[in-house]
Amino acid sequence: MKRYVRSVAAMLLMAVAALVIAACGSSGSSSSSSSSASSSGAASTSAAGGKSGGTITWVEGTAPQSLDPGFDYTTQGAEINWIVYTGLVTYQHQNGIPGTSLIPGVATALPKISDGGKTYTVTLRKGLVFSNGKPVVASDFAYAVERAIKIPWGGSGQFITPVIVGGTAFSTGKAKTISGITANDSTGQITIHLTAPYGAFDNVLAEPSLGIIPKGIPFQNQPNNPPPGVGPYMVKNIVPNASFSVVKNPYWSKMNIPGIPAGHVDQINMKISANVASNAESVLNNSADVFDWADTIPGSLLPQIQSQASTRYRLVNLGGSVYYIFLNSQNKPFNNQLAREAVVTGLNQDAMSRLGSGTLTPACFFLPPAIPGHPTSASCPYGTPGLGNLAKAKQLVQQSGMAGQPVTVWSQERAPRQQWMTYYTQFLNQIGFKATQKLISDPTYFTTIGQLKLHPQTGFLDWNQDFPNPVDFYGVLLDGHAILPTNNENVGEVNDPYINAQVAKLGQVPTVQLQHNSAAWQAVDEYVAKKAYVATFGYQRFPEFVSNRINFNSLVFQSVYGWDLTSFQLK
Amino acid sequence: MATTSASGTEFSAGLNAGFEADEELPPGLGPWRLAWRRLRRNHVALFFGGLFLLIVVMCALAPVYASDVAHTGPNVGNITGTVTVGGHPENIVSLTGIPIGPTYHSRYFFGADANGRDTAVRLLYGGRNSLEIGFIATIITMVLAMIVGIIAGYHRGIADGLISRGMDIIWAFPAVLLGVTLGTVLAVGGIGPIHGNNLFVPAFVIGIVYIPYVGKPVRAQVLQMREREFIDAARQQGLSHTRIMFSEILPNLASTVIVFIPLILANAILLEAALSYLGVGVQPPNPSWGNMISDGISTIPAAFHNVLVPGVMLVLCVMSINIFGDGLRDALDPRAKVRIAH
Amino acid sequence: MTRFIVRRLLGMIVVMLIISIITFLLLAAIPNGNPAYRLAGRTATAAEIHDIEVKYGFNKPIYVQYVRTMKNIFTGQAYSYTQGFNVLDELRAGLPATLSLAIGAGVIWLVISIIVGTLAAVRAGRYTDRVLTVLSMAGVSFPPFFLGAVLLYFLGYKAGIFPLGGYVKFTSNPWQWFVHLVLPWATLSVLFIGFYSRVLRSNILDTSSEDYVRAARAKGLSERQVLFRHILRNSLLPIISLWGLDLAQVIGGGAILTESVYNLHGVGQLAADSIGKLDVVPILVVVIFTAFAVVLLAAVIDIVYAYLDPRIRLA
Repeated sequence: MKRYVRSVAAMLLMAVAALVIAACGSSGSSSSSSSSASSSGAASTSAAGGKSGGTITWVEGTAPQSLDPGFDYTTQGAEINWIVYTGLVTYQHQNGIPGTSLIPGVATALPKISDGGKTYTVTLRKGLVFSNGKPVVASDFAYAVERAIKIPWGGSGQFITPVIVGGTAFSTGKAKTISGITANDSTGQITIHLTAPYGAFDNVLAEPSLGIIPKGIPFQNQPNNPPPGVGPYMVKNIVPNASFSVVKNPYWSKMNIPGIPAGHVDQINMKISANVASNAESVLNNSADVFDWADTIPGSLLPQIQSQASTRYRLVNLGGSVYYIFLNSQNKPFNNQLAREAVVTGLNQDAMSRLGSGTLTPACFFLPPAIPGHPTSASCPYGTPGLGNLAKAKQLVQQSGMAGQPVTVWSQERAPRQQWMTYYTQFLNQIGFKATQKLISDPTYFTTIGQLKLHPQTGFLDWNQDFPNPVDFYGVLLDGHAILPTNNENVGEVNDPYINAQVAKLGQVPTVQLQHNSAAWQAVDEYVAKKAYVATFGYQRFPEFVSNRINFNSLVFQSVYGWDLTSFQLK
Repeated sequence: MATTSASGTEFSAGLNAGFEADEELPPGLGPWRLAWRRLRRNHVALFFGGLFLLIVVMCALAPVYASDVAHTGPNVGNITGTVTVGGHPENIVSLTGIPIGPTYHSRYFFGADANGRDTAVRLLYGGRNSLEIGFIATIITMVLAMIVGIIAGYHRGIADGLISRGMDIIWAFPAVLLGVTLGTVLAVGGIGPIHGNNLFVPAFVIGIVYIPYVGKPVRAQVLQMREREFIDAARQQGLSHTRIMFSEILPNLASTVIVFIPLILANAILLEAALSYLGVGVQPPNPSWGNMISDGISTIPAAFHNVLVPGVMLVLCVMSINIFGDGLRDALDPRAKVRIAH
Repeated sequence: MTRFIVRRLLGMIVVMLIISIITFLLLAAIPNGNPAYRLAGRTATAAEIHDIEVKYGFNKPIYVQYVRTMKNIFTGQAYSYTQGFNVLDELRAGLPATLSLAIGAGVIWLVISIIVGTLAAVRAGRYTDRVLTVLSMAGVSFPPFFLGAVLLYFLGYKAGIFPLGGYVKFTSNPWQWFVHLVLPWATLSVLFIGFYSRVLRSNILDTSSEDYVRAARAKGLSERQVLFRHILRNSLLPIISLWGLDLAQVIGGGAILTESVYNLHGVGQLAADSIGKLDVVPILVVVIFTAFAVVLLAAVIDIVYAYLDPRIRLA
């Protein structure tokens, strides 16, 4: 008996020791809150009716690539960082189309544009400090641009490096600074010279990646410890891919930049969990407060949400994103116009919508509604989107002579994107192709299909606006000059002289002007639909879904970036 | 067991208690007849063996069910269609994407999945894929493990050193981690001319992962066996090494092999499910129990049948193999008499 | 024994080295495995990608890259290429969750399987034994991702008794820590209880036919005394070593599925996430860490073993 007891005791002792180690190991790192959102802190009632202060929990299915604005190029990162890193200009904190208008950020006014659209001049506000207390100077902006080029930020190859004079030379190390940017620390004046007029450059300046940061932060992605910024909130306690917190910037109240609210809640705890269904369940039962808008609420939960939480749930078409299927126009079988038409003609958008929990608005045009140039009056060239005309599609495939051609359908893994491509693969087989589905894990999907040598035939793509200008869609995704050997975004290898010429010409028109006259872009968009270069299958309506502790009516759901953190408020 | 921790240790210990071949036989009965006698008395094991056979037959008949009963295929979806239940047409998939639950009629007996495909049909086809992969993987494991185990045990020396270290290496990887890594590599690139979508890819991955679990005990047994008289005798007769390995050693490993087959099969099916769940096993749209569960998780909670149906089937199948295998081990294990006498 | 341990350690170091080389080569063989593509971002130009290849040395021969990566790992400078974080910090951050899962589940599965295994052996051949056999076999047949989904659905979502996954640090709220771990513990334990109780049962039955047990019985000791003093003591020894190695595997990130289903963000989930991202550095670190955990626990067990069984010490 004695021996037996000893052996068990020895094992238990080992176990206890290990438990102690486990518990102690955790004490050193940052503390993340418990799963329930019971913590509320000291919340005081404000004049507006809601409270100010308190802590809320936000659940999200996909982690930001990084919270360092110099690297991140995801909607999950931008929705946080546009609040944390205010740029020279920024967007209005408002719902709907007003949210696409620019206002001055850390600059005193919107940029003065001269030299035929090639020179931008702004002046920095006085008395700005970073969230670490350090004063802001004009040359910090130049540093932010240098950093975004060097790391590089995911959008730099498109929007910064080739656009600013000296950007390429700096990127390749041929120059020590960017010759096209001059900054005067004593007057606060910043001048930016562009290589060619770029109508959307105002919008580029609003990107969080060009938000102002202090000099000296290494030219390297800092995912655990992103740089200080100028904004109502700042990020801390980052555990990559798991959690982070957004807290009030103690220096913000002294600065008071007009148009940028100070925010209500003291702290937002972000929790990342790939199980979107349980995220939605936890918001439904109020153990978490905010559901990330970029995640799709599983359709199976919608009936319950509609019956139990109708006062804190709605679907909103932000109008800035498009879901589409690329059709490789350089390779068989979709180099054939009739084969592409067959896809557009027969595609059952109703089915796609059901797979997307009923959140898709049927569509046939590439540009979504909030982007100037979206055809509002034209009718769809190949029939109104709906159930699709399968018989006609079969006939078109026969006519095209491409029947029986093998097709690989490239597909992401996460729901409902995988299910969309599963349906699409079956559809291609129905109309006469020999299609197989190829699944690539989400984080590597775009770099995989971005390799030109694979010449992907067809598959899923989506695009969410960087800014409300069609050049963000056409210049990146359908311009012949955008076909690259690696990280190719023009996956369908669309290289049409008309589109290329229009992108070059219309890309110079400032965004502000487009809001009044976008007929030329509209013609391009109708042309693309007619040529069936892409099969657009819907504009996503995104969920605004919060717990019953949040003041639902005061929420701002911004058109470019989604949630406006400064509008979160406890009842 | 091997699904989470996949610890190699689980098997080794279970087997060390097994097969030193000295057996006292009642006169007139061969070891196989004796084993069969013992197995026949174990009704629980026989019942679950029968259940497993039933599952295999059902899955084998999947095409018959699909064409004659359900009138659809495993990859045929009908998202915007309707099915008549109790005289009323009902959406197969609702406007917000909720698939219909079990109808218990010929069409959509177990309901539909998110893509409007018949869950019952996919269950049977998925079972076919899962079982096929399980069997192929088991064959790969058994054949390769026997080869390396016999060579290592018989030749000893350098060959043994290399093979044993090689098996240590596979062993030190957690099975799921190794499977997922291999699966990720091969799902993108395929194996030479074999496309990444081919069922052979996951079967190959799984087959490799389990080699040491069989190879180590085989090696140990051969090491012991080569010191025995009948091998000496064969050597003195001038038989070649190959001949000895095949005609003298191999037959004596039969009971080990038979006991291992259900064990590896059960674990291969579980690992296949895990790999498919993680997206590196059977590639969609082809069903397997693992990827059906994985797909079904996105339709929880309104369509829980999409997780429950393949999950229960998977558990039943693996459990019946395990229980039958356990009975088989009892029957072949010479010490089983201890158990009966106790 | 020192020599024995030293030899074992040396052997494991060689194995670890080879494992790291194989992992590295495997990941380098992936057609889209070049991390420069992902580092350069979605709109990167060919020139930018080339710059990154030069900056990180991805254009160097594979063995140069391997040596440098390993050097970084052992100097604590192992940064993930595509996610930017220090991998050792992430490993440290994931360890409390993984250790809590492993040790909690380890204690549960050990205690329960000792009870179940002993009961089954004592009742061998009878009704209780049959039922326990079927239950054990059912247990080992439950894939954690299925069991996890079912438990989360019924006990977490429907009944609302347990939270829907996630990990809470012991130091921030011990009760929440416990509540969050109940389901993961149960899910992981079920697998092992089935297997351990079977092994223990057959060990006990084997031991009970040994001569010294017969002698003990002949001396007139009661069945209970024989069972606890003689049979169980010896039958438990192999279980301990089994337990230690399994625990090491789970600590080393082996419980990928359980960690992922319950979103514990432990070592296993770090590995799973990194494989999805084809991020070679964290995968290498986790694999080496697993091997290390196995070596360490195996050594600890050898010592415990030697303490319990004098024959080993003398040899």
